Amino acid sequence: MQLSQAVLGGDTAEIGAAVRGDGLDPAARIGIYRNHASATLGASLQGTFPVICRLVDERFFAYAAHEYLREHPPHSRCLVEYGADFADFLADFEPCKALPYLADVARFEWALNIAASVREAAPLPPQVLAEVPTNEAACVALRLQPSLSYVSSPWPIDAIWQANQENEVPLVDLASGGARLEVRRVGDSVGWLRLEPATLAFRTALADGLVLAAAMAAAALQDPAFNLAAAVQNIFAEGLAVAYCLSSDREILETRLVDLARKEAP
Amino acid sequence: MAAASRGAEKAPAGITVVTAQQPAPNRSAGIGLRSPHVAEVAATRPQLGFIEVHAENYMVDTVALDRLLNLRRDYPVSVHGVALSLGSAEELDCVHLGRFKALIERIEPMLVSEHLAWSAIGGVYLNDLLPLPYTEESLHLFCRHVEAVQEEIGRRLLIENPASYLRYHHSSIPEAEFLAEVVRRTGCGILCDVNNIYVAARNFGFDPIAYLDALPNEAIGEIHLAGHHAAENVTILIDDHGSRVAEPVWTLHAAALQRFGPVPALIEWDTNLPALEILLDEARQAQELTDACCYVDTA
Repeated sequence: MQLSQAVLGGDTAEIGAAVRGDGLDPAARIGIYRNHASATLGASLQGTFPVICRLVDERFFAYAAHEYLREHPPHSRCLVEYGADFADFLADFEPCKALPYLADVARFEWALNIAASVREAAPLPPQVLAEVPTNEAACVALRLQPSLSYVSSPWPIDAIWQANQENEVPLVDLASGGARLEVRRVGDSVGWLRLEPATLAFRTALADGLVLAAAMAAAALQDPAFNLAAAVQNIFAEGLAVAYCLSSDREILETRLVDLARKEAP
Repeated sequence: MAAASRGAEKAPAGITVVTAQQPAPNRSAGIGLRSPHVAEVAATRPQLGFIEVHAENYMVDTVALDRLLNLRRDYPVSVHGVALSLGSAEELDCVHLGRFKALIERIEPMLVSEHLAWSAIGGVYLNDLLPLPYTEESLHLFCRHVEAVQEEIGRRLLIENPASYLRYHHSSIPEAEFLAEVVRRTGCGILCDVNNIYVAARNFGFDPIAYLDALPNEAIGEIHLAGHHAAENVTILIDDHGSRVAEPVWTLHAAALQRFGPVPALIEWDTNLPALEILLDEARQAQELTDACCYVDTA
């Protein structure tokens, strides 16, 4: 336990007493392990958040990653799952306050990573909805593509991300408005769409496991003229729905919600 | 001749073992496959004895696993675990062990290996192979963990000797003896990392040949080769898997092959990853050394 704390940046004195010097300060020996853990976990985060690294430069990224590691060491032993709350960390990280868009760009990069890793599921054919009795249609919940994420920001995060794919980063107009993005995998590629506010509200509600009636209510708050039939049709036309159930079937719904929770940490 | 002993023993009576004039029948050298090289390996299918992957990179069911299963059609795969933390003083993580087992069932690998080290404690994963003290108590616990894993996966595990940078005052068993005793008690095999032996021998001033001699020859199931570098400011070698295999490590590898026979040898490269061609060139060298050391003319 003492060595693990020392590796995470804590005091080396206690464990140092158990270590043979063999011609070197025990603290320096422990430091080799600490540096390795810090460097490899930092490199893992850098691989997941390359645009954040570019925005803040490598040295600052290494510092931020090190602070994140101390506060949020990995709990999963699979590093592809490490970094899910890095965006939340950046949002509260005082030295980053001058870059208010940074945390949202990190959320976008995490969504791109999920879409790059998670395979596409077979889409549900629209005909299946015909099986649903009309009086129960409002209670239908849809399971959406597992690679899907919704990211919303007051900043043009997709434009910021795109600009940072270039060698010479072009100017991005931060006043050009926010972005409401749907990020997903299609076949072998990863892509995103900008959505209208009502469509984002509708699809986010569905992704959160709400039934059609509740998703419709969320969308209507954004756009009173929101067209439910057209919205459902688009969900199917874009291959977003992969399963459905009726919320009256409590057991199925609960299973589905567990699956959705898993989606968030691939 | 000791150099050909393993091949000679395995050959049926009356059949000449491969000679220096006839190249070895099977490729036994492989590379550690890292994600930036996957597409090129898939497209070019280079000649390799096997590929090895880190188990933890494929435990989450993603498109990366699909790509590996595709390569699995053409290459034997070795699954190398880095996070079971067999050397922990606490119980094994059942969830992680379950994921390890599921991956092995999917891949059906030629070899399964882990480390003489620990890497997690209290639910926190440190992403490093940390040293354990070598005592009767830790030996008992380590063996229990190896047995538990072998029981769970239904296969023999190879245990890799670590590169080390520190030793504990209360360690009472030399590392090679500790490993040999783990083999004796659990029936596991050994993944002999020749670079790690060289690095530890330099860092602690012991004789690497004596270390090889203390290992049970018949238990060696695989050899690892990698680059290392000298740490800044301190007189210590770091096993960083970031360069070509150093000349003295090739020499030690030849000594290992003379003892262990033509066991599969693997080139590991993790930091400053080079072009695939460089890795393949290192694997070719490993293959040539195996051929030279293990398939000599015994006539």
